Amino acid sequence: MRDQSKSGNWLTAVLLTPTFLWFLFMLILPLVVILVFSFGERATAGGYAGGFTLEHYANLSTRLKAFQNTMTIAPLGTLLCLLVAYPLAYFLALRIGPKFKLILLVLVIVPFWTSLLVRTYAWIFILGGRGIPTLLEFIGFEDVRLINTQGAVLVGIIYGYLPLMVFPIFVSLEKLDKKLLEASSDLGASPLKTFWQVTLPLSMPGIATGCMLVFILLMGEFLIPAFLGGGKVYFIGNALVDLFLQSRNWPFGAAISVTLVAIMLITVTFYMRMFNSKTGRDESLM
Amino acid sequence: MRIYVIAVFLFLYIPIGIIVLFSFNAGRHASELRGLSIQWYEKALSNPFVSDALVTSLIIALSVAVLSSILGTTAALALQRLKGPLRTFFDGMIYVSVMVPGIVIGIATLVALVTVFDFLNPLLASVWPEGIKPPKLSMGYASVIAAHTLFTMSLVIILVRARIAGMDRALIEASMDLYATPWRTFYQVTLPQIFPAILAGFLLSFTFSFDDFIISFFVAGPNTTLPIYIFSSIRRGITPEVNAIGTMVLAASLILLMSAQYMLNRRSKR
Repeated sequence: MRDQSKSGNWLTAVLLTPTFLWFLFMLILPLVVILVFSFGERATAGGYAGGFTLEHYANLSTRLKAFQNTMTIAPLGTLLCLLVAYPLAYFLALRIGPKFKLILLVLVIVPFWTSLLVRTYAWIFILGGRGIPTLLEFIGFEDVRLINTQGAVLVGIIYGYLPLMVFPIFVSLEKLDKKLLEASSDLGASPLKTFWQVTLPLSMPGIATGCMLVFILLMGEFLIPAFLGGGKVYFIGNALVDLFLQSRNWPFGAAISVTLVAIMLITVTFYMRMFNSKTGRDESLM
Repeated sequence: MRIYVIAVFLFLYIPIGIIVLFSFNAGRHASELRGLSIQWYEKALSNPFVSDALVTSLIIALSVAVLSSILGTTAALALQRLKGPLRTFFDGMIYVSVMVPGIVIGIATLVALVTVFDFLNPLLASVWPEGIKPPKLSMGYASVIAAHTLFTMSLVIILVRARIAGMDRALIEASMDLYATPWRTFYQVTLPQIFPAILAGFLLSFTFSFDDFIISFFVAGPNTTLPIYIFSSIRRGITPEVNAIGTMVLAASLILLMSAQYMLNRRSKR
């Protein structure tokens, strides 16, 4: 018996070693390097030279616009996603027979797993010069510019991340005990009151999960502002790409990355605390 | 309500439809539709840059999918036997690897690997026997595959673990009681039960890697994957050829997704 558990321990160790090495070399090492570099000096030819300085963190304010854009458009985009997704999730969970439910749900999720790159560039096409603006010209609106605006970026965000928001809300509405809804209306509550006082509070865990997933992904977004913001509306991710590939200022880029991860960790932790104390946890990832 | 739902579905699918439609454009300009033809598909497939990028993407995605299903499954199986601080460590790592934005993973991996390589290359050259050209470590296939696998491995662990949690423990105990060796129990009882989750993980990993732009952009070195090719062509201007490539990419992920969905459904029916 003892032998068996001993060989079991060996097996466990052997099975976990590759995964451990992966986390060590591809996650911990890079994150530590980035943290160390963010306090280093920039080498004359770009890249990194040793040293300790807080200069790069002090310089963060030169990229203030990127931080401001990210910190305003990411929450706004998350909110808009929620507003568009909720009625859809509600319909799929409570207003439709089981036969179509699965098909429609798959139809919502499928786009999320196909290339975001290709789906986003479709909007360059639609919002760009010969897309909707040309159509608007026919009805008399001349010179409407849609692409490279904050609105275009927001449309891209809703389009890209809607599925990710719908799914968790759908799951929490689906789990909801339908008898509670009947009880509420039997007791004379109007449908609106039932929604506000029963349905909405009970779907809070789904809303919380959906918002968190979308918000996390938006904080690190690069493609959507790159395609639809056209250098006018840019995120932290776009500033990072510029720094690393064009000016090769590694330490400054590292400082921005560290700040980004720190902001994310703080927001997410705070957010989870807030929701966990209110509702309890929901693990409906994916 | 119904109208709203239809509108949302149109919103989700019209852009995809437009790309597909314009990829069959017979005209020479991306934004003017002049009859249908498959000329842009022929052009795209005979473009050596496109076929090279496609092959690169396929090699990377396939390696990522194979690696992450093996590593992820073994890790998920081993993790259920693990308790205490080590378990917390692994759970934390899985969480972080899924959470950290791809762009930060890409940048951090690039910086870390270049630094490590710059340190190791002279060292390797000095210990290498005279006369033979010493190997030079650099960014390439291995770095992209390793960086993608970080995320997809965690994805497979999450999927397989969920399946293990829903598995009937009594079957394993019965198998043990009937004197099956642990290996045989694994092979004949556990593996068939978790197999759909592994296969779904394999397909999702492939799709993720095949579609990823931002991580590859940083760590692919001189290699061009298909998303990198599409990104740089879009920067130069949209052509019907890009639409044709995009349509093929969408079709590829759709087929894989449908297979993954089918596998997960079979799982829940059993």
